[in-house]
Amino acid sequence: MTVAFASGKGGAGKTSLSAALAALIGSTCVVADCDVDAANGAIALGAIACVIEPYSAGPGFRIDPGACAVCGLCAQACRFGAIKRIPDTGHYMIVPELCERCGACLDACSSNAVATYEKEAGRLFVSNTRRGMTLVHAELAPGEDTSGKLVRKVRERADVLAGEAALIVVDAPPGIGCPLIASLSGSDLVVIVMEASASGIRDASRLIELLTKMKRNSVAIINKTGLDADMDARARNTLINVGIPVAGEVPFDPALRSIEESGRTWIDLEGNAGEKPRNALRAVLGVVDGLTRKNQDTAGKKERV
Amino acid sequence: MSGSQTAVIAVASGKGGTGKTTIAAHLALASAISHATLLVDLDVEAPDVLGYFPFAKPAEDRGAVMVAIPRFVEGQCTGCGLCAKSCRFGAILAIGGVVTIDERICKGCGRCVALCPAKAFDEVGFEVGATRLYRSSSLGILEGRMAVGDIRSISVIEATKNKAKKELARVHIRDCPPGVSCPATHAIEGADYVVLVAEPTEFSLHDLSATVELVKGLGLPGGVVVNKDGFGKADIDLLCEAWGLPVIGRVAFNQARAASGAAGRLWEDDRAFMKEIDRVLAIALGVCDPAKRAYP
Repeated sequence: MTVAFASGKGGAGKTSLSAALAALIGSTCVVADCDVDAANGAIALGAIACVIEPYSAGPGFRIDPGACAVCGLCAQACRFGAIKRIPDTGHYMIVPELCERCGACLDACSSNAVATYEKEAGRLFVSNTRRGMTLVHAELAPGEDTSGKLVRKVRERADVLAGEAALIVVDAPPGIGCPLIASLSGSDLVVIVMEASASGIRDASRLIELLTKMKRNSVAIINKTGLDADMDARARNTLINVGIPVAGEVPFDPALRSIEESGRTWIDLEGNAGEKPRNALRAVLGVVDGLTRKNQDTAGKKERV
Repeated sequence: MSGSQTAVIAVASGKGGTGKTTIAAHLALASAISHATLLVDLDVEAPDVLGYFPFAKPAEDRGAVMVAIPRFVEGQCTGCGLCAKSCRFGAILAIGGVVTIDERICKGCGRCVALCPAKAFDEVGFEVGATRLYRSSSLGILEGRMAVGDIRSISVIEATKNKAKKELARVHIRDCPPGVSCPATHAIEGADYVVLVAEPTEFSLHDLSATVELVKGLGLPGGVVVNKDGFGKADIDLLCEAWGLPVIGRVAFNQARAASGAAGRLWEDDRAFMKEIDRVLAIALGVCDPAKRAYP
């Protein structure tokens, strides 16, 4: 069973809430930090890396200026505007940050001046955490263009480590593009973290539209309530209108920030401030239990047939 | 700033939710007082700039962003399979003269079309998003927006950048997406100065390092705005010192700003804040030198 935290907007509370859910479940779960651009699961859970593997994204392309015949066919073939003419020398060069690595220039070149090269595009980690659960995370080298592929590797490794029984908690990246979709592959439940703000609601609404297309089960947690009453109401109404159940609300509280600074998670906070995230996450686990039973029933029925 | 070229300032962060859109919107407002200014929303997966400008009016029709997708022409294929072998995105399945193209993941690079010895492809446009120009009094706002369910954010970002280039403005302020991979890189590329927005939390500190690496890698000058100053204990200043990057602005955290930010209201009446924004803008514009751009 896999539970993914997503929000659309960045900074909505995905990492904090997913780490708190992992802490609530305990050492049996596996956490997959799929925000490979900005991986903070290791900080939230206190991780020590046990396995570090290099990640290669496949070959990149470059032009050998010595071999370049300055015909310009590569620049004509490139649909991404990644090949520029150097004003001083007149030669062509590939801007690595703009290159999509499609290889069209390789075919178009009249003088075999386009060569491929391999480089490390990031690293994959399997770590032990303070709480005992295993964390799979990764770091993409800045400027790399294949975060979706690295996310898939994180997900696959988490699947292998978790086996059949363990629950996988996925911390998804912001946005609604390629890395997010890769993070949600194989997830049984998506926890929508909706920030009770104008932009938080808008971005979560785009996420909900995507989840509807992807036909995913989802529940929501409204985060940072109590700042603006209108926004709180708007967040609740938005979720009611699309029929997504609310597992709970977490009021904006600087104490939540402080507890993280001391290396703990939101569920460790004493009193009312900790009670809200605890209750919300218990409700999420309730939905997970329901889905697990449903899956077992379906599997049981299939066996009987 | 030199000549009559446009100065391009990119607002980026690494971590999401640090206040990029807030800082970008106010930098644009401050700039619009004395320069023709275009605020460009390049966070195409989660475009939120317009939320700050409820009275902005569309100045043009919506422009669809199209990607040219290959279409298989029946009867010409010789079954060589070169198209599928050459596709780096795994978008083509070729089995014995039958070619299937997954138009949701095709990036429209055109490699298969150029390579096919039998000329068995033509190309059709596929809509991946849209751009639209708005006006809010003297400020121009250009929004890029990726279609929900699509993954080609890069195509939308580049189309938005290209459209921005055609707008006659002295200053462009770009609101960039979070992260350090392709969308953020494309959004920052071509800028003259990068304003990095950080908050004093361990998460932000960690993500800022990667973004600084990206900005340095692109060879761009930049400075850091410490937003929500006092909200956490992470030492952004120490990191900036280590990277040799100046802290060019500080916005203190307080509950009123948090509440107003949640409601999506502009902070124009917050004088201490606008003073800081003016300072950041002056520093950024002082360093911007479009003549120094690597690729004109």
